[in-house]
Amino acid sequence: MNDDLALRLSAYLSEKLGLGAVEVGSLARIPGGASRETYRFRARYSADGTARDRAMILRRDPEASLIETERSVEFRAYRAFHALGLPVPEPIALEPDPKFLDRPFFIMEEIENCSSGSIMNQDPYGSFREKIGRQFFENLGRIARADPRALTLADFDGGKTPDTCFSHELARWEKVIDADEIEPQPIVRAALRWLKRHRPPPAQKISVVHGDYRTGNFLYDGNGDIRAILDWEMAHLGDPLEDLGWAIDPLWANGDIARPGGMVPREEGIAIWERTSGLKAPKDALFWWEIFASFKGAAIWMSAAREYAEGRNTDPINAFSGWFPLAFHNRILAERLGALA
Amino acid sequence: MNPEADKILSLSMQKLMSEITPLLASGFAQSQLGLLGFMLTLAGNEYERGADLRAKENASIRQLLAASAPHVKDTDLQSRLVAAASARDDSLKISALNKANWALRRALIELHGHVEQLSGENARAVERNIWVLLRLIAQERMVKLGPS
Repeated sequence: MNDDLALRLSAYLSEKLGLGAVEVGSLARIPGGASRETYRFRARYSADGTARDRAMILRRDPEASLIETERSVEFRAYRAFHALGLPVPEPIALEPDPKFLDRPFFIMEEIENCSSGSIMNQDPYGSFREKIGRQFFENLGRIARADPRALTLADFDGGKTPDTCFSHELARWEKVIDADEIEPQPIVRAALRWLKRHRPPPAQKISVVHGDYRTGNFLYDGNGDIRAILDWEMAHLGDPLEDLGWAIDPLWANGDIARPGGMVPREEGIAIWERTSGLKAPKDALFWWEIFASFKGAAIWMSAAREYAEGRNTDPINAFSGWFPLAFHNRILAERLGALA
Repeated sequence: MNPEADKILSLSMQKLMSEITPLLASGFAQSQLGLLGFMLTLAGNEYERGADLRAKENASIRQLLAASAPHVKDTDLQSRLVAAASARDDSLKISALNKANWALRRALIELHGHVEQLSGENARAVERNIWVLLRLIAQERMVKLGPS
């Protein structure tokens, strides 16, 4: 099956991208999340009389996908932030027409010889944790500081203002929970009511929000340098504190609240973000976005669990999502909101 | 009935990891099998504690609903809480316990939303009791990651 896919990929790269004769080799599926099939391959071709050998990644929609918008959003975010100089892989092609590889897909460069951290590990980066942590919060600050209009991403999802972006996101994830809740979730429902009763202050600005910026979604090399920020499929416009609240959620270091993501201490990370973004992270506002992060996480895990339970996507990661991370976020919400009662 | 299901799941996971995974050439297949094996371990743990966890949770919710009902201002809700609190688990099948649990959780959600709207110390005390129970439920529902 991979041989056929390699031939068709080769034809696509040769004809559609005008690279001339392209040999596709070493095509192999790799783990890359449950939402898309991810393959790595090498493309060998000649450009300007020079032989090229590039490592690339193919991200193909799964069967019966209805995620047109997210694919386009993800590709555009890669393009914009790669051009800005952030460590983001270079996007190569976005193809919505299923005639080439049966389903829509996009191709980007592969950042080779790198590792990613695991959220199951409280110390995923070992001796690199401080170095990686500083870059992690600096990069997030740069995303927050960037002007969506200059990035040509101002049309991502229009109509948001600084005082309504929180309610857009809350409504978005409430809808997901209403649709995908299998068993009644008293803690998640209590969190939703709390989030509605306690409005956060207006956003200091409207920024591009990565939407899933965390341990496990970036690659670092053998020197402890972050080389690739990945998984932009939930990118949108909104309050930059949304990304910060998500990035410091305790799940990303298996419960370590003091060192979000198993990197630098929480207060140091927030200070780096403030310095780089030029924005503030007031305690009350950030607390709202931290509760929102765990609420949104619960919505994602419930959605994955339903996909699995109804047989639409039987990747075992979806079964795991319905068990461990959902229980984890329920516990975080119960502890944090219960302490206020 | 021996071996028990949790033993079968646990040993199946060990067999997959030690004998099957090394035979696979594809990194993707190895990764999928690793995750499947991990889920078998978790499923074994849940087999052992599943009925006990649900029965205890149902009893705790019923106790809270019974204690809270007198402070509820909506008479219709009050009578439904009393009815839910007086039910019992007649079967220890997971499906039967789940059916009762989901009905109790729905009643708990309704009670919680109701008392949040009420003023007065009694309402606050009920709210605090609800959070004590929710914290307990959340703690008990945490998935045990290692083997039993």
